[in-house]
Amino acid sequence: MKKLLIHITVIAALLVLMNWIYTQWFYRDDLLEHSDLVVSSWQVAADSCELVYLGESSNKTYGYKDKDKRKISEMIAEQLPGVRCGDITQDAAHAEVYYYLLKNIPKGNQIHTVVVTMNLRSFGANWIYSSLETALQKKLVLMKGYPPLMKRALLAFKAYPIHTKDEWGQKAQDSWTKTPLCFPYPFPYKTTREWNRAIAYEGVKDSLGNRDQAMTELTSHFIKNYAFQIRDDNPRVKDFDRIVKLAEKRGWKLVFNILAENTDRAQELVGDDLLFLMRENVEYLVKRYEARGVTVVNNLEAVRDIEFIDRSWPTEHYYETGRKIIASEVAERIRN
Amino acid sequence: MVFNSIEYLIFLPLVVVLYYLIPHRHRWILLLTASCVFYMWFVPKYILILLVTIIIDYSAGLLMERDADSPKKKKRWMVISITSTLLVLFIFKYLGFLNDSVVALCQSLGLNVNTSVKLILPIGLSFHTFQSMSYVIEVYRGNQKAERHFGYYALYVMFFPQLVTGPIERPGNLLRQLHEEKSFNENNLARGLRLILFGFFIKMVVADNLGGYVDEVYAHPEEYNSWSVWLAMVFYSFQIYGDFFGYSTIALGSALLMGYEISDNFRSPYLSKNIAEFWHRWHISLSTWFRDYVYIPMGGSRVKFGRWMYNILVVFVLSGIWHGANWTFLFWGFAHGLLHIIEKALRSSFGKQEPSGIPSHSKFIQGLLNLLGVVRTFLLVTLFWVMFRSTDFANMKAMFTAAFSQFDGGRQLVIDPKLWLFLGLFMLSDIILRGRRFDSWCEDKPVLLRWSICALMVFLTIVFSSVNNFPFIYFQF
Repeated sequence: MKKLLIHITVIAALLVLMNWIYTQWFYRDDLLEHSDLVVSSWQVAADSCELVYLGESSNKTYGYKDKDKRKISEMIAEQLPGVRCGDITQDAAHAEVYYYLLKNIPKGNQIHTVVVTMNLRSFGANWIYSSLETALQKKLVLMKGYPPLMKRALLAFKAYPIHTKDEWGQKAQDSWTKTPLCFPYPFPYKTTREWNRAIAYEGVKDSLGNRDQAMTELTSHFIKNYAFQIRDDNPRVKDFDRIVKLAEKRGWKLVFNILAENTDRAQELVGDDLLFLMRENVEYLVKRYEARGVTVVNNLEAVRDIEFIDRSWPTEHYYETGRKIIASEVAERIRN
Repeated sequence: MVFNSIEYLIFLPLVVVLYYLIPHRHRWILLLTASCVFYMWFVPKYILILLVTIIIDYSAGLLMERDADSPKKKKRWMVISITSTLLVLFIFKYLGFLNDSVVALCQSLGLNVNTSVKLILPIGLSFHTFQSMSYVIEVYRGNQKAERHFGYYALYVMFFPQLVTGPIERPGNLLRQLHEEKSFNENNLARGLRLILFGFFIKMVVADNLGGYVDEVYAHPEEYNSWSVWLAMVFYSFQIYGDFFGYSTIALGSALLMGYEISDNFRSPYLSKNIAEFWHRWHISLSTWFRDYVYIPMGGSRVKFGRWMYNILVVFVLSGIWHGANWTFLFWGFAHGLLHIIEKALRSSFGKQEPSGIPSHSKFIQGLLNLLGVVRTFLLVTLFWVMFRSTDFANMKAMFTAAFSQFDGGRQLVIDPKLWLFLGLFMLSDIILRGRRFDSWCEDKPVLLRWSICALMVFLTIVFSSVNNFPFIYFQF
């Protein structure tokens, strides 16, 4: 027994020593190499920012015809003179990524307001099980709240979901098959999969009555991206809840920016049923987070079809006017 | 479940603790359940294939023993068992390849054939089918009593430390040990942990870090200069060795934690002076399997020269095809067989003569000749690995072309200096160990040195492991 205790003590002491060596000489380089996102978190504190905007590609994407190519976050900053603004932008990011980005902002900063992008699609299976998740989750390992050596061990032993594109796709399919869709009125399809299959089978017809394959595929994308219902156990809801707690702890004013979706197109291609789900989901989010003291900016239907850049895939990439609308709404709510 | 995963780091200690907590008579249930969980972590449904081969071979063993007095019947059961096991192997591993080859042949003859067979290869199929077959053959030969307890037989085939990548065990070793009552032994625990640690270092720090460079060059050999291509070829030699040796060492260590001694699979293969010696040191459990169950039954070397050559080529081609259903593997096996024959022929012609003017007792000269032999064998094996690693003949051709014709142009591979340190440590360990196992080498070292080495390995493994995911190379076989 005595020998065992000595062994355990020696091992513990060695681990503490290793952690110290790693933290002193290797940790920073590893962070920069494997979790480069963290640099953005450090930067906003180093730049003495008072307002931080967290976003994904919607923040920085602009159209070829745009004269004003600024980010949404820069447009917000323009409307808040005297407030030093910064942004952290990462493609395909979602609430879990935002949580760790915020967690890694060094303490003792001047931040008082945090605007977090709330992308409706990020709550759906298509995004939750996106093939980009493996790379994103890998980047998050070193940003978690364990001792540095432990985080490196978790990275070494691949403590993040490693799946192929097909496997991620299968997970999304499973979710669409198993999760029921509940409408308060009779609806012919019980799940997203059933709905999508019906659309794929029937097809969207052009003006001559022929099957329009491109439109059929676009309709299918809309269903796969928006035909879901947010519930309390949604992983993104849990992440936003964690963000709320973190903001309370750090004394930040929190603003959730629900991005505009192409509701015009959704209604035109799929109809009111899809729009019902989109509105219902946004209502859920507004209600849930306003009750927790968060300022929720609802931009769901703020931008018209013409302002969306991508035509063959639903995204939140807007032309100049679209970005300005979003920025104005957010700035307005922050001012008030 | 893979060894170098966080899941395994939780799974293994849990199984080991439970193993020693429960009485011997119930341990097979624990180990069998653990093995099922371990295997089903990959693709759950493929356990059914394992179950089919287990039932067939278990029944065959009992039937052969029942009909021990009738050689004809006994042989019949053996043939049925082996054929069905090989059929499973053929369907999942070779049917797609055969189909593609026939389609390609027909298309080259102008025939419009376009069939496709797409089956996912169950992980470790080649390993456990061979282990299963060795049981049937040993029972047939009368060297092994048929196992009456289905659970123990299933555990023999499925024992998780060596289930998916070997070593391919024989019933005389593993099945016997499974029946033995193992009591907790502190020394086994320490040795097992050391082996696991050493295996992690070799696989995760050496092999996986080399893998990135190898993949880069093999994907676009035409873009790199010849020096870089040669470097990638040498790196692959160490990557595949580190990958397989590391994994086998973790398997050995994992089994040892519960008191089971499974066979060594490697004995410093790159220190071999010729190809024959290489095959005595590389993937030993497979080489001895082919020796005992194919080569010797065919007559081995006690036949006429022509037949002996044929025997060698058959064994090596089969070994090549065992690795994968692709012409490149067949070619690789054939090349090794051919070289083996050439070396043997040369040795039988010149081997007995003393080099003129060199005194037979000159240790220096002998050492130099040995060193030359080691370098020559390593270079040849490295060249042959190109066939093994290439995705197809076009890739192989591109690699060889780039290796010999792009000395003046192309990109230079930029290597992280730390990699040389890790590679150096790996080579040094191979030279120091020289066929000994790391755990036994450690045993007679002072405590402080032992602890320092282990602490260093823990640190290197955690801090310098590749963060990229390199699945174990032999999983595909």
